[in-house]
Amino acid sequence: MTHFLNRRGFLSSGLGCLGSLAMASFTSPLKAQDNDDYRALVLLFQFGGVDCHDVVIPYGVGEYNEYANIRSDLLSVYGDDRARSSLLQLASSGASAAFALPPELSGMKSLFDEGAAALVGNVGPLVEPTNRDSFAAGGVTLPPRLFSHNDQQSLWQSSSPEGASVGWGGLFSDLLIAQGISTLSDFSALTTARDRLFVTGYETAPYVASAGGLSLDLSNIVNRQTDGSLAAVYQMLRAQGESAAHILTRDLAGSTVSAFDANLEYSAILSEAPDLGVAFRADPVGTQLERVAKIIASRQEFGVNRQVFLVGAYGYDTHSAQHTSLPNLHSRLDAGVSAFSASMKNMGTFDRVTLATASDFGRTLADNGDGTDHGWGGHQFVVGGAVNGGSLYGDIPPPSFEHSQDAGRGRLIPTIAVDQYAASLGRWLGLDDDSLAQALPNLGNFSSNPLANLLL
Amino acid sequence: MSRCSTKSRHLPRASRLLTVRVVAMLLALGLSSLSVAQGAHDTFKALLSSVQEVRGGVVDNDQGDAEADAIPFASEASTSRFLSQATFGATQSDLSTLVGTSVSDWLLQQFNEDASDYLATLDSYQAQLPFLLRNPWNQQATTFAFWRHSIKGNDQLRQRMVFALSQILVISNIDGGALTDYPEAVAYHQSLLTEFGFGNYRDLLEAMTYSPGMGFYLTYMGNEKEDPETGRQPDENYAREILQLFTMGLVALNDDGTLASSINGDNGSTELYDNDDITGLAKVFTGLDRSVTRAESQNNPEAPEVLRSWRESMVVYPAKHAQSAKTFLGLTIPENTSAADSITLALDQLMSVASVGPFLSRQLIQRFTTSNPSAGYISRVTQVFNDGRYTLPNGIAVGDGRRGDLKATIAAILLDTENLAPEAPNTFGKLREPVLRFTQWARAFNAGTVTPEYTLELYDLSSVSTYGQGLAQHPFRAPSVFNFYRPGYVPPGTDSGAAAMTVPELQIVTAETIPAYMNFITFFAMADMQSADLSIYREIGGLTGVDFDPELARTSFLPDYSTEENLADDLPELFAHLNLLLAGGALSQEAVDSFIDVVAGVPAEAGDDDWRATRVGLAVALVMTSADYLVAY
Repeated sequence: MTHFLNRRGFLSSGLGCLGSLAMASFTSPLKAQDNDDYRALVLLFQFGGVDCHDVVIPYGVGEYNEYANIRSDLLSVYGDDRARSSLLQLASSGASAAFALPPELSGMKSLFDEGAAALVGNVGPLVEPTNRDSFAAGGVTLPPRLFSHNDQQSLWQSSSPEGASVGWGGLFSDLLIAQGISTLSDFSALTTARDRLFVTGYETAPYVASAGGLSLDLSNIVNRQTDGSLAAVYQMLRAQGESAAHILTRDLAGSTVSAFDANLEYSAILSEAPDLGVAFRADPVGTQLERVAKIIASRQEFGVNRQVFLVGAYGYDTHSAQHTSLPNLHSRLDAGVSAFSASMKNMGTFDRVTLATASDFGRTLADNGDGTDHGWGGHQFVVGGAVNGGSLYGDIPPPSFEHSQDAGRGRLIPTIAVDQYAASLGRWLGLDDDSLAQALPNLGNFSSNPLANLLL
Repeated sequence: MSRCSTKSRHLPRASRLLTVRVVAMLLALGLSSLSVAQGAHDTFKALLSSVQEVRGGVVDNDQGDAEADAIPFASEASTSRFLSQATFGATQSDLSTLVGTSVSDWLLQQFNEDASDYLATLDSYQAQLPFLLRNPWNQQATTFAFWRHSIKGNDQLRQRMVFALSQILVISNIDGGALTDYPEAVAYHQSLLTEFGFGNYRDLLEAMTYSPGMGFYLTYMGNEKEDPETGRQPDENYAREILQLFTMGLVALNDDGTLASSINGDNGSTELYDNDDITGLAKVFTGLDRSVTRAESQNNPEAPEVLRSWRESMVVYPAKHAQSAKTFLGLTIPENTSAADSITLALDQLMSVASVGPFLSRQLIQRFTTSNPSAGYISRVTQVFNDGRYTLPNGIAVGDGRRGDLKATIAAILLDTENLAPEAPNTFGKLREPVLRFTQWARAFNAGTVTPEYTLELYDLSSVSTYGQGLAQHPFRAPSVFNFYRPGYVPPGTDSGAAAMTVPELQIVTAETIPAYMNFITFFAMADMQSADLSIYREIGGLTGVDFDPELARTSFLPDYSTEENLADDLPELFAHLNLLLAGGALSQEAVDSFIDVVAGVPAEAGDDDWRATRVGLAVALVMTSADYLVAY
């Protein structure tokens, strides 16, 4: 399958990963304006497993017909929205294979066309290169607990199944600090999702960035009703956080004190956040991305020059009624990412912020009547001013069964490992090879680097 | 029935004598007016651990285990602690009546208590409503029923089991849609958990498999057999989750919950099945649908037969059930086997897997007593789960001897030596679940009218409200089938995480939810319903079509603080009382001192008793937001 040539690919095409590493660390100071050496990574995680076969759809007439035939039950309830004529063809550089996005992703299509969004085909957890034969023969080490939601969510974020304690976003933050690029802050790694694993490091503690409403009624009451204050209670809690005999008391008191401290600072800063000049939709994705944009707008006040964010989009486990739920989820993501990109452009930070999507897994190409089941590899978007966009990196396997990357029923065996995907983002943040190897345990098992030119 | 099984817990004779003395001392302590400094809880624990030290040998015991029978209710502190594990919280009258009684008697009484009736409670709400669809009271009725039964029901232990099982066999009405529009589905699910909560897990699984709530939630309602023509395959959702979440998990476990070692897989563990098992098992769950299908319901969604179809077993549509052979977990169900027979064979096969016992035992332990149970604790409970029988300390055996007996299992969990006398008290225990904190408050202070329909603060506890309140936990409304938190959650960046402990409830403790819980409980502790803004209550009233008086919101969940207000001028006494009632005596002196410092700031004014209510409300809020209270051990 074609790896589209990209607009700016020639800049570093001969240099491989060392080249892009050198570029990243070399260009950062040059890009800095007003001492603003800021870079942020936003991982937009589609929880539940987005149906990759409904994100990138074959557009060549023959391939489309093959796809539509396999999915005939499902497409019949979709109606016109998945007719070939409704799809948004991605501009290709004359390659034979053609692909399209569903009509709900029109904003992503625009970003792709303007070169600010790229697609990474068939990425997912891998320990080492794997195909249908080696998968069947058992001659390769496989990621543990494939096809299971919680474990694959965890693997995507941390390289380990459920129970993992650190994610690569948090480790990136730790290592950026260790490399002297960033400094530790309560706001180095943030989540607006229900999950925190991705943004948890050994040193970096994630901050759960709420919508607000963080004022404590109890302290209002105390202030109003008594001539005392909560200072004694607070001191007691702080002491407990350090020395209580019970381990959970210590953890809970410690979490409470840090939450109070950070919430005060966060609320104070966000209340002064500048107007973004962009209307976000008031849906669960739009509100999170708007919050992230506000935090980025206040980056000087937060005093950080590297941030990692986790944003959660939920509801992608479309075993049933996929035709009613997934288009809405696509629309949300599309509107959210479009508004987010517009806000970054407004504040001049578009090339300092990279948004990457992720998901538990892709889904089966075969349908179950009105939905699809758990898969493995999937296709992801990378968006931002630093993205060498308008291109599709890696491969999109054909819309058929039993090809070399089919684990059965069109569950795709990834050709790009999450570790490789993560490494391209980490390099852009400024991490060196040693750091990447520390954060991404399987990276060394992959010799080629199809994403070397993804980010400039 | 054997008077004494060899599996009952035995103490050496010397230890028994010591325990009798300990219990006598504890009784004396409980009756005396104990100062907080002494710490009834600490004293109790210290004495128990001295008992623990001389334990170890196993002796024959023909007379049951009178000592163990007395330990849970030995003192007010221990009674409060035990009831926070086995009920939705101690009432003040529990503390006065149960101290000194037999835990075996209490368990037997609880096993025989009439069960709360979720469908009847739903009926009683629906009877008040002029219309059902999209009616807020109808949509919330199953939550209302949960609060009524958990706070006011007599079947406390059974309902704790229901709540625990609801976090394993998860269905949720968080997404809107049919489970919100048809509360019948969740009410039926609740009724099954109630019916089988003291029954057998295998029977529960079967009832659950036919339940329309589960069928809808895990998308196998209307699931059809494979079609070679179109390539359509059966939905795999339920097949996957019944294995991964409802019975055995992903990897083989020893009876003590540790990973069964193997030469392959991740970290030496053995994965129990692969995707071929899933696709084979998925065929079993084809052909089930409601008696009135979705297509048939569309024209008249409120027809009685449509409503009924959501509160009874799904039925089999034989033409839609897979006729091909179904192969999974080493079993092949031959072709042309009926849906009912296939389900029976499949569930028997699932239940025969050795990991089922430790997988479920560990999670049930986590829901009742401790987040990170030892291998020994899990192993003992697994043994009882597998045997289906447990001998209570008074020598009476519970359970029918079939694997998966839940009465035997819960008794084993609550009465295990690790719970009654933890060997490592500083790592034993769990964070109190947010929902249980609220029920405990309501029971401790005998909240006047348990009328959740008049308490908007309870309508959605899943997320943080515009008032900055929330629990990140709402009964029967988990964010996904993976519950509010994961049993395997190891909290990053904490001491417990560094010790590789699983602490599920810490997964929902964040900079956002900490103040949200504090604000939530402060509203109730301070009896703020008396001054709440009623405009939204009026709006909701308009939407329900019920002629209700928003003023009733003023008394809904109004606490009765009469006992506490009498202590408002003696703060050490007030906190000693709250410490026993709410925290099982676990508050540290430092915490109490800091609370007294705050509460004493409310001036006592002659001739006006408002200050008493303010002091008590503040005291309750401070205790219930303290780390010492929130960690139950």
